[in-house]
Amino acid sequence: MHDLWAVLTGRRAVSESMWVLSFEAPAIAREARAGQFVNLLLRPGPLLRRPFSVYDSHEDTIEILLSAVGVGTRLLLQLDTGDAVSILGPLGHGFELDPDAGPVALVSGGLGVAPMPLAAAAAANLGLRVDWVHGARSAAQLCSEWSGDEVRWATDDGSRGYKGSVLDVVPESAGQILACGPTAMLAALAGLYPRAQVAVETLMGCGTGVCLGCAVPRVAGGYDRACTEGPVYPAAGIRWPELPAPAHGPA
Amino acid sequence: MPRVGGVSLRNPVLAASGTFGYGTEVPLLDRRHLGGMVSKGIFLAPRPGSPPPRIVETASGMLNSIGLQGPGVEALIRDYTPLWASWDFPVLVNINGESVEEYGELAQRLDSVPGVAGLEINISCPNVRAGGMYFGNDPRQAARVMARVRRRTRLPVWVKLTPAVTDIGVVAQAVEAEGADAVCAINTMVGTAFDPRNGQSRLAFGQGGLSGPAIHPIAVHLAQRVAAVVSIPVVGVGGVADADGAMEFLFAGCCAVQVGTATFTDPCAIEHVARGLAERLTRLQGPALERLREQPARILLPGSSPPQGEGTGPSPVPGNGRQNAL
Repeated sequence: MHDLWAVLTGRRAVSESMWVLSFEAPAIAREARAGQFVNLLLRPGPLLRRPFSVYDSHEDTIEILLSAVGVGTRLLLQLDTGDAVSILGPLGHGFELDPDAGPVALVSGGLGVAPMPLAAAAAANLGLRVDWVHGARSAAQLCSEWSGDEVRWATDDGSRGYKGSVLDVVPESAGQILACGPTAMLAALAGLYPRAQVAVETLMGCGTGVCLGCAVPRVAGGYDRACTEGPVYPAAGIRWPELPAPAHGPA
Repeated sequence: MPRVGGVSLRNPVLAASGTFGYGTEVPLLDRRHLGGMVSKGIFLAPRPGSPPPRIVETASGMLNSIGLQGPGVEALIRDYTPLWASWDFPVLVNINGESVEEYGELAQRLDSVPGVAGLEINISCPNVRAGGMYFGNDPRQAARVMARVRRRTRLPVWVKLTPAVTDIGVVAQAVEAEGADAVCAINTMVGTAFDPRNGQSRLAFGQGGLSGPAIHPIAVHLAQRVAAVVSIPVVGVGGVADADGAMEFLFAGCCAVQVGTATFTDPCAIEHVARGLAERLTRLQGPALERLREQPARILLPGSSPPQGEGTGPSPVPGNGRQNAL
């Protein structure tokens, strides 16, 4: 784990409301695994850090995906190239790929696409087939970037790809499913694919396992920490009705 | 090595309960700069804690309703105290009960456990349905808890006070009279936050404890109020994020501080505060130095003679905190 001041090196739009920011963070880029996250601190800025999945990494650079959902993300999107933020990471436990479990379906909704490029790269490295399955409300809100062997889109309004839930287009051939997206989507996915690995989003205080703010209700009983035991869980291991949908007000 | 409330601290900056886990979690921090720590609040039995959402960021602060999630005292003793016994900074255990008896049982269970340098009685948690702040709201209840704990342990006992009272000084005096070795001012302030878009509470518990820079001036004020009316040491807690914030507590009459929420943002916050404070105390001069020499924190000034009773043992006589502290 590292805490370093990282310079913003690039920003690109990947949908009408989602952007990818690139930061020079060599130590973190070397270590980050798919599904792990980083915790960003802005100064001046809000009190707490903001957690983001590592979207991708290249040599000395890590990328994050974000939308302007609150004060922190708005400030991040106002940064200029050359500005620095404090980045703590990589944090949490990421996805685990089984080289013998067959083709990988990466299933995401909206901002849930955030951990998927790194997951696609990891799966490709193991020689696994990758189906990129991504849904959003409309074509304009789909992430324009994808990687893998084949892509399947789903939109609520049918403006691109399948009209309906992204869960309807998960390939039957998938031997392992990695998913991220709105809590309601993941809860539904858990009913269909209890063995899927899901990356959950929660409000987070510290990101390091101390504050116990990011509680995830477990089927096994009690709560554990999205930042430490998570954010990736077996879908069947979560008491979904008790996991709040991320409240994006203050983020 | 300042001795405060019966505990020999490595420096006057401690990690506050609930913000430092059991001492093993916070990454990157150089623990050589830790004056001591107070472990996450513990009950006799394991507790799952409150349902999420448990935290919400507010203007210059945060609300939490963790609900004292924890493994219970037996697991704490088994899993952490052997480690603490090998550490070169003192660990106080923050104890919680739903009854006076439970506080007493915890104190007895932790008495003479190697690795436990002292107890911090939490009579000020806003996030439990029974106990917690109920005891801290009422000086008679606070005194009963302190008296029971005092009878069950020879460990140094600190009491963490709630700001949610008409006169915090009265509660501080009540626990002092029953043998508290130090008081910590303050715990979080109770707050509520609604999501204006749907009218729902942002915390599943419905309320939480406000911490961070937002409460710092309140904490300094209340710590000063406490320091004015008790003879035992006062430990300042509330929104300390840098050496300036720590110095304020010292000028208010405290002789140590705890760093809490700042650790969430910066895992090395305690180290920065401790190093900065040491430098300030070394360089202090003029009117600031004169003012600090009039305060209990004069024991922290370089060259100040070590206080009596130097050592790591427990208070030899219950209730003598005022003698061995200053």
